[in-house]
Amino acid sequence: MNAQPANSEAVDPFVGYRPLPKTYDEVFDTEGRVHPSVSPVFERLRGIGRAEYRRLQRLADDAFLRGGVTFSVYGEDGGNPDRIFPFDLMPRVVTRAEWEQVESGLIQRIAALNLFLGDVYGEQRILKEGIVPREMVESSRAFMPSLMGVRPPGGIYVHIAGIDLIRDTDGRFLVLEDNIRTPSGVSYVLENRMVMRRVMPELANARVAPVDDYPRKLREALASVAPCGGRDGHAVVLTPGPFNSAYFEHSFLARRMGCELVRGSDLFVERDRVYACTTRGPQRVDVIYRRIDDEFLDPESLRSDSALGVPGLMRAYAAGEVALVNAVGNGVADDKGIYPYVPDMVRFYLDQEPILPQVPTYVCQRDEDLRYVLDHLDELVIKAVGEAGGYGMLVGPRACREEIETFRERLAADPRNYIAQPLVQLSSCPTWTDQGLAPRRVDLRPYVITGEESWVLPGGLTRVALVEGSYVVNSSQGGGSKDTWILEEEA
Amino acid sequence: MISRVAQSCFWLTRYLERVDALARLLDVHHALHIDAAAAATTRWRPVLRATGQEASFVERLGDAAVHDGEAVEGFVTWDADDAASLWRAVGAARENARTVRDVMSLEAWEAINDLWLWINRPAARRLFEKNRGSFYEHLIQSTVLFHGVSHGTMLHDEPFTFMKLGRAVERAAQTARILDAHVAQDAGPEGGAADASRWLSALRSCCAYDPFFRGASHALHQTSVARFLVFDQSFPRSVLYNLDETRTLLRGLRKNDPFGLPRRSRTALERARGELLQMDMADVERRGLHSTLNFVIRATDHLCDAIRDDYLEPPQAWLRHCVRVLESLERAPEAERAA
Repeated sequence: MNAQPANSEAVDPFVGYRPLPKTYDEVFDTEGRVHPSVSPVFERLRGIGRAEYRRLQRLADDAFLRGGVTFSVYGEDGGNPDRIFPFDLMPRVVTRAEWEQVESGLIQRIAALNLFLGDVYGEQRILKEGIVPREMVESSRAFMPSLMGVRPPGGIYVHIAGIDLIRDTDGRFLVLEDNIRTPSGVSYVLENRMVMRRVMPELANARVAPVDDYPRKLREALASVAPCGGRDGHAVVLTPGPFNSAYFEHSFLARRMGCELVRGSDLFVERDRVYACTTRGPQRVDVIYRRIDDEFLDPESLRSDSALGVPGLMRAYAAGEVALVNAVGNGVADDKGIYPYVPDMVRFYLDQEPILPQVPTYVCQRDEDLRYVLDHLDELVIKAVGEAGGYGMLVGPRACREEIETFRERLAADPRNYIAQPLVQLSSCPTWTDQGLAPRRVDLRPYVITGEESWVLPGGLTRVALVEGSYVVNSSQGGGSKDTWILEEEA
Repeated sequence: MISRVAQSCFWLTRYLERVDALARLLDVHHALHIDAAAAATTRWRPVLRATGQEASFVERLGDAAVHDGEAVEGFVTWDADDAASLWRAVGAARENARTVRDVMSLEAWEAINDLWLWINRPAARRLFEKNRGSFYEHLIQSTVLFHGVSHGTMLHDEPFTFMKLGRAVERAAQTARILDAHVAQDAGPEGGAADASRWLSALRSCCAYDPFFRGASHALHQTSVARFLVFDQSFPRSVLYNLDETRTLLRGLRKNDPFGLPRRSRTALERARGELLQMDMADVERRGLHSTLNFVIRATDHLCDAIRDDYLEPPQAWLRHCVRVLESLERAPEAERAA
């Protein structure tokens, strides 16, 4: 790897790149050849040597810092608390043909999840027919029986979805997880692209699908669900406040949509209507794109210790006086314990076969599954259904005896709380490291907006596990991100 | 606009104006080092009074240190525990900006974020040690840059109005404080070298050196300086100029009021401005400049409270009352149709 002479920085940076064993590399095949579909892009990238790369990386980091695309870490040394998310300059490339499959699969999946939510909070046909076990729904912590019979405008529950995808050893896209509560990260997709254009403008002539349309599409979706007759719907973005790590994103989306960014304390409810407190007195609010979790929305009917929410908001919602985006109670559909049943939902509601496959999953609630899981703990990934962000997880093949025994006890004590999946060898992409380009594992979170119809943002957030050998892409645990390029066909 | 957002816009520029005023004040007093006429023993305490930090400084560093210019400059500039320090003011301005980033232009945000990033770099500390004048100059230029950039790139609508409003009221108060700090200096007989030196320092601290001498009066004494810094209606840092500006801004805001609301800020402003307009220099001398300036400072405090109640943090009970009024207006046409 270090055989190249120190002074030849312009030397092909891919020299010495070795894909991981038993892993799909998105650029190189097992023979070390570039996949023909992405080769035009990577031929251009060969010209960047390590010194040039370091210069560009500094430019990119500086652009993020100046733009305030940061999250805050308080209490380290009393100095500037801003940190940027690590950004890798080597783009992740997906061809249009591959993407179309993903796009239609996502739209199909969201349609099924939406119908499922309408059903669960309505007639409950799918439970009555025993396709999804009633106890899995009713034992879900995110299920809200108080909302039975409350139908959101247009019957839309999932206005914004972030569905996590991975690619297996054959390069197939699989659904790993559904996020249909308040998925985050889309601002990084837009900012990554902006920085990429600034730093590597010569690459802009690669035929990459643009991502800037997202705020406009979201604005349209918000307008389409306003419950008011005749008046122009007044939409706001509700944030927990500037100490939330995603505050940049809340502010970014409000600005790009031309909506006001509000906190719970800026709103109040009077006779089941929601008002904003403005310099011109109270002003009616029709749609709230809320970035606050369900349980914190209304201290009057939900968590009484929540200082983030708006007292009486759930009354206004149930009365149909305000639309909440996403709807309340969605968590019952992206519960990890419900995930195994999504393909059956697609068949039940849409009478179609699922386009996107998903990871085979053992539901520890089922006795036979639990027995299998307990016998194969060292081969499986165990996930707690209520956890996210890569926490509450056991990666069997990489765990020590002790960790496995701890999980054995937990599983036996509370099987409903766990699912198990085989370890998928996440695909890898060339990524800049201190030792030059090396393969690092990635996932993909595409974003789907649903108003009058569904729209998929071309690309999405590629997260990369920057630590060698790691499978965990979460930013809290050493993950970074890449710009994701959907490559249009040559005309 | 959302009241809380208006509040952040208002405070953002108040803090920036504070940065600007402190930097000028320190710069001028630092430069006086080489001016033999100004005695160090009387120079720095008024600075601490003007910045409102005398008590916390004495408590931390002792009364003797008040004569130590280096100690005072270091404290006023960098102290992390004193909310009135320059460093804290830059941080507070930037935090307010971050909170309302969605109503600012990219360029305006970057101007303020760059200042915050800069002051946290070791290079800024080094510049403070090696070349104090350039350090202050950078701060002053950054605030000027912000005003220019925001004027040139932001919508001139409500958020911008509240930014201008914050700047105007803070500027009126800062000019009064800076002038008051110089009144308090012991400078020997009127017309002496030390006396002239203190009035030059007051003018420089308010950016008023050249404008003052371009005006009619070339005589440098307390009355002429006070007339200029308090009453001149064309000098953008004078007290009266900024009350005029405030008046224009509040009028513009009231045009948008939905139903003839009573606004306390209007009364507070008219009262303060009216009283100043009626005074002549003989009145000021009779009353004493110090107590006149005190009146200005108290009047601007009162004005800020009124602006807060009217626009920035309106009381809940009042808001709910407005809703009921709105609803009755909404119902009125229906009732007419029914009849």
